[in-house]
Amino acid sequence: MAGILKPPGAFAVTPHKVSVCILIQMYAPPAMMSVPFPFSSVAQHNRFGLYLFALTKSCDDIMEPKLDELINQLREIGDVLYQWLTDQLISRLSSLSSPDDLFNLFSDLRAILGGADLSAVDDEQVVLDPNSNLGMFVRRCLLAFNLLCFEGVCHLLTSIGIYCKEALSSCSAYELPCLDDSSNELEALSEYENMDLENIVFEKVNKEIEARKKASEEVSFHLHAPKALFGLVEDIKVSAVSKSQGGDKCREASPSAHAPNDAMREFDSISGAFLRTNWQMQGYLMEQADAIEKHGSSFSLNAFELILRQLQKLAPELHRVHFLRYLNSLYHDDYFAALENLHRYFDYSAGTEGFDFAQPSIGCNSFGRYEIALLCLGMMHFHFGHPKQALDVLTEAVCLSQQHSNDTCLAYTLAAISNLLSEIGISTTTGILGSSYSPITSIGTTLSVQQQLFVLLKESFRRAESLKLKRLVAANHLAMAKFDLTHVQRPLLSFGPKTAMRLRTCPTNVCKELRLASHLISDFVSESSTMTTDGAFSTSWLKNLQKPMGSLVLTQENVSGKDSNAFQFCAQPSSIPGSVLQLVGSSYLLRATAWEAYGSAPLTRVNTLIYATCFSDGSSLSDVALAHMKLIQHLAVFKGYKEAFSALKIAEEKFLSVSKSRILLLKLQLLHERSLHRGHLKLAQKVCDELGVMASSVTGVDMDLKTEASLRHARTLLAANQFSEAAAVAHSLFCMCYKFNLQVENASVLLLLAEIHKKSGNAVLGIPYALASLSFCQLLNLDLLKASATLTLAELWLSFGPNHAKMASNLIQQALPLILGHGGLELRARAFIAEAKCLLSDPSFSVSQNPEAVLDPLRQASEELQVLEYHELAAEAFYLIAIVSDKLGRLAEREEAAALFKEHVLALENENRQDEVDPLPSTP
Amino acid sequence: MSLTESCRNELRTAISQLNGRCLYSAAKWAAEQLVGIKQDPAKYTPSNTRFQRGSSSICRRFRTNEISSTLVAGVSYVSTPVMEEDEVVDSDFYLLAKSYFDCREYRRAAHVLRDQTGKKSVFLRCYALYLAGEKRKEEEMIELEGPLGKSDAVNRELISLERELSTLRKNGTMDPFILYLYGLVLKDKGSENLARIVLVESVNSYPWNWNSWLELQSLCTTIDILNSINLNNHWMKDFFLASTYQELRMHNEALTKYEYLQGTFGFSNYLQAQIAKAQYSLREFEQVEVVFEELLRNDPYRVEDMDMYSNVLYAKECFSALSYLAHRVFTTDKYRPESCCIIGNYYSLKGQHEKSVVYFRRALKLNKNYLSAWTLMGHEYVEMKNTPAAIDAYRRAVDINPCDYRAWYGLGQAYEMMHMPFYALHYFRKSVFLQPNDSRLWIAMAQCYETEQLHMLEEAIKCYRRAANCNDSEAIALNQLAKLHHALGRDEEAAFYYKKDLERMEAEEREGPNMVEALIFLATHCRAHNRFEDAEVYCTRLLDYTGPEKETAKSMLRGMRMAQSSFPAMDVEHFPP
Repeated sequence: MAGILKPPGAFAVTPHKVSVCILIQMYAPPAMMSVPFPFSSVAQHNRFGLYLFALTKSCDDIMEPKLDELINQLREIGDVLYQWLTDQLISRLSSLSSPDDLFNLFSDLRAILGGADLSAVDDEQVVLDPNSNLGMFVRRCLLAFNLLCFEGVCHLLTSIGIYCKEALSSCSAYELPCLDDSSNELEALSEYENMDLENIVFEKVNKEIEARKKASEEVSFHLHAPKALFGLVEDIKVSAVSKSQGGDKCREASPSAHAPNDAMREFDSISGAFLRTNWQMQGYLMEQADAIEKHGSSFSLNAFELILRQLQKLAPELHRVHFLRYLNSLYHDDYFAALENLHRYFDYSAGTEGFDFAQPSIGCNSFGRYEIALLCLGMMHFHFGHPKQALDVLTEAVCLSQQHSNDTCLAYTLAAISNLLSEIGISTTTGILGSSYSPITSIGTTLSVQQQLFVLLKESFRRAESLKLKRLVAANHLAMAKFDLTHVQRPLLSFGPKTAMRLRTCPTNVCKELRLASHLISDFVSESSTMTTDGAFSTSWLKNLQKPMGSLVLTQENVSGKDSNAFQFCAQPSSIPGSVLQLVGSSYLLRATAWEAYGSAPLTRVNTLIYATCFSDGSSLSDVALAHMKLIQHLAVFKGYKEAFSALKIAEEKFLSVSKSRILLLKLQLLHERSLHRGHLKLAQKVCDELGVMASSVTGVDMDLKTEASLRHARTLLAANQFSEAAAVAHSLFCMCYKFNLQVENASVLLLLAEIHKKSGNAVLGIPYALASLSFCQLLNLDLLKASATLTLAELWLSFGPNHAKMASNLIQQALPLILGHGGLELRARAFIAEAKCLLSDPSFSVSQNPEAVLDPLRQASEELQVLEYHELAAEAFYLIAIVSDKLGRLAEREEAAALFKEHVLALENENRQDEVDPLPSTP
Repeated sequence: MSLTESCRNELRTAISQLNGRCLYSAAKWAAEQLVGIKQDPAKYTPSNTRFQRGSSSICRRFRTNEISSTLVAGVSYVSTPVMEEDEVVDSDFYLLAKSYFDCREYRRAAHVLRDQTGKKSVFLRCYALYLAGEKRKEEEMIELEGPLGKSDAVNRELISLERELSTLRKNGTMDPFILYLYGLVLKDKGSENLARIVLVESVNSYPWNWNSWLELQSLCTTIDILNSINLNNHWMKDFFLASTYQELRMHNEALTKYEYLQGTFGFSNYLQAQIAKAQYSLREFEQVEVVFEELLRNDPYRVEDMDMYSNVLYAKECFSALSYLAHRVFTTDKYRPESCCIIGNYYSLKGQHEKSVVYFRRALKLNKNYLSAWTLMGHEYVEMKNTPAAIDAYRRAVDINPCDYRAWYGLGQAYEMMHMPFYALHYFRKSVFLQPNDSRLWIAMAQCYETEQLHMLEEAIKCYRRAANCNDSEAIALNQLAKLHHALGRDEEAAFYYKKDLERMEAEEREGPNMVEALIFLATHCRAHNRFEDAEVYCTRLLDYTGPEKETAKSMLRGMRMAQSSFPAMDVEHFPP
């Protein structure tokens, strides 16, 4: 842009690249037969080639490796060849003592490239195809070297000297076999400099001043010595000193365990370290961005921030660094830093900075692409829970994308807005997008939020499909499924001919959308870029090399086998882009949620398990935590709290710092349920209050948390028999849900109200609520909730007296199949008890004729309630058992039941006594 | 001996000492102040008066409150003994080294002094090494520039220098000059706290080294830091404080200090330029122009600070004066960033923005951290409708100095131009935070809120109110406030602001459509509230204007007179006169 700087993407020759060139020369020496000299087999030769390829492509770091690291890797590659390769490399590097040697090296390098006409070449000869990856690399090096000015060549020579020297000085542990050999060469070098370099390098700190004086003294007698060489002395000192300091600093700054790659080394010394190519760096940044997103807040903030800061210092024109800093602070909830870095990134890059091979002129270059900035800013506000700002910004983004006819951005923006609308609660019906977006205004502004959301979803989907944005299409399918799950579609027009619409949600639609979303996995192949696959492949290949298993290979015969293994092993994870995996994974998670709503416990569990086993490495930790949460909830409902808590412990360890809130939420939920069942109401209230605090205070944000907290509050009050307070809380909750259009929640609130009236003995008042809840459930296809509402209705009828027992019994029979198939322990127990009660109150039923019809369900219920530690209901069950047994004259059974009854009643009283010290606060 | 006289003696000694140590810019500064000291009228020589003639007139013109007091009055200064040189006669080696140094052969100079142990020699050796390292660093910066911008050129001497100097400090064999150098090295290495301590020590024992003060100033980035350092009460401290106040954007305090110093150093060009700088920041362009005219008369080959003069000329649209200035600096030294900036300003004034960008770029090539050039270049790009480039330039300015409110404002404007008002607000907020008393910034922000896209009128009103409170020179705020209140149906408030606006226009004797608008509204408003006398006054005033408003006023007057007469208004309608 305005900078007075060279265009980015230039390629600089560095010592590391020179050594790679030398290695390539060894890989393909000119005029040699099929397998060149030191290699004994084709496999070995290929493996070396693969290694070189990986060296030029890997994105695991921002800095080029030092010579000693390179030597270490070589050791992994060719066990037997290692000595020969390193000897060669070091001797050739250290023989570079004058600029002319460099010129010769590069002109020799030209010889290994084949001509353009490959057919003329003899088959047996190894020739580097100029258009292959390695060939391109060599050509770029040649070109970059030819463009160097003389000062540049001198600098290159100096840095090669440092590069070798660092390796040699730190390699006393390596026991280089070629040490005497190369030291001869080094002597030549130091002779040229006319001073004792080794001496200075290894000088103790307190002696350095003298050494300095000595050095300057010696220079004076050889004033003809080039300045660059004099600088060399200084160079080494700088790096030696700052190494120790930088190391200390880093150790202080990043105590966290997770240090991506070796951050320590990054901060050693700036001098002598070179950045990798732009391509590799961008790849590195992309990988890190993925990692941040995946690990969320467990990604180490400081260590990565240090790397980024250093990168920024070394490459101030690489603006993507700012974006990474933005991501880093975003996922660590640092609002101000995130805002600042986001603005900085887009100010510098105008949204157009990409890779050097991508043409930057897509779209309208002269305007920049600031609509993307708005889109990002909107999502940021959304992330931090500022829905109003987010909506404002996204509206602006819509305007700007339309103005600049950036359809892709528009499609994404619409998707973001619909995501926003579906996540937050908005009560106003007008003015969401103002007059800015025509599809909305063309229909009229009287639409409800839900209708607007529907229009937006459709619109975004249409655009995504026409632009062939496959991921967005898939994401839109998912969003649509989510919408269909909880919303009844209504006609958009309030006038004109209306097609007959069933006023119900449509599970088939949900299913269809989910299936369509999963199709993505077969579609993505055509659009995956080589960039990500090449880089990721090389990175993992090299990483694999560094694992200790690499050194297990001992014999040459095994090399080929191991080679292919490594190849397959590493290639696999990168074969499907992470984003695709994530989307497909979330479709399974959504499936689980859908089944949860529709009330099929086994299917929920199956889908969650699929997600947790197949997609957990690709997706973000918070999603994985969600899956675990679902599984543990399932355990709690079906297996009781003991198992759930032991599973929770495992999950807590696994997600130690990650997505803390989700696991914490689960813990609070479980604690609340358990203390409600046990009758420990004070604890229940405390837990419930804590749950409420977790929600943001902004209206419309964290609606699910807020509804859950007040639902639980009402239930606690109900358990404490404070009926009017419970009813008041439930009423206000109902109002809130109505205001924000939360239909599913409304159904359960209505059911709760029915329960409250039932328990307070006001059955007549309870029945309308139960019926309303039933109709809501029917509307939204919430089968399990419907069954439980039916059960409540039956209990209500039952409380009217024996005349209505038949009615109640019919209702229970209706609901029973579903409850037995999918219901949790509590629901089943309640159904059993209600069934028994129906029979008992039925005048035409005689216990003595068919005792098992009553006792069997009661026994089942009591077992299940004992697992749940639900004292109150368990006591009721045992009481009934005892009475029936008494009637039947089974004294032993009666005594047993009575004893258990007493036990539960005592336990309940015990808990209650703790609470009686101070009664529950009615409302927070 | 009077204090003026002692100042003069101190400076004379200091100049020779500074020159002896090759601290030329500090010596230059001291010499400028030396000739800037006011002469005793009793014994001035003709040569002195010739030099100072020009300045006296400006002193007369702007010394309204006539500070007769020189430094003597009221303040008791610590008298710092003039440092005794330890080597009365420089050794031969020193003389050779100094000659090398003067020929810019720094390493050679350092080498000559390798075995000398005198403090002066040690200082010169280290200083030469430091400069050699700096020079090499500059060269390497260009040689090693990586594909993605600057690489890692550092002054390679810093480490060894720091080690040597810290040993010296431990042994306690440091004179103030070596302390200054030590502070410099520490600052470059990033250990700012220690650097500050060392520099304070240096200026307390030898206050006449202006370089040392400047380094200290660059380390005082907040007023708290400034207050926390413990300085001897020497008269040099006043120069330091004034200059630091200015950096901390406390312009009024700086101005007071400078005016106080002018009592003694009445003819100092430096002081004049600094006063002009402070006044420029306070946007008093008239005075700045006069000061610079005088300054140029006395010192026609001066280039430093002239870019500010060119800004003033630009703001006042003095084409010929600006071109004259550009010509003069161009012939004096064309490769100074200031010169390029002045030429850029000239082209910008002529509307040739492409050429102007070329010169700003050249200025930036000469000094990459030249703040105002980045900002000005941003302005040019805005004129050329190249918003991305403008944003880039402004952002660079902001990253160099995050307190540059102009660049933040420029960023905001650029985004507003692209119809991104919400996004722009972020930048306006920043600029307003830094410069809360500038009405232009508040008005820009208010206009953002007012846009059709955002339409957040309440916020806009708040901003306009702030603008009106900080002396809005273009008188937009009051009118807008009235309009907005009117639009929101709050007529009382609207009337209040219209009245205020009217009073203001009367005071400034301005006419225009705003006047008519205010009068019309007030007339209607008063009539609606049955304050017929007031309404009549406003209507009568409207009669002075031509156009449809005159007719409206006439008919209103007629209506009111009818209403006031004994007939009920209803009947009058039926019998028009």
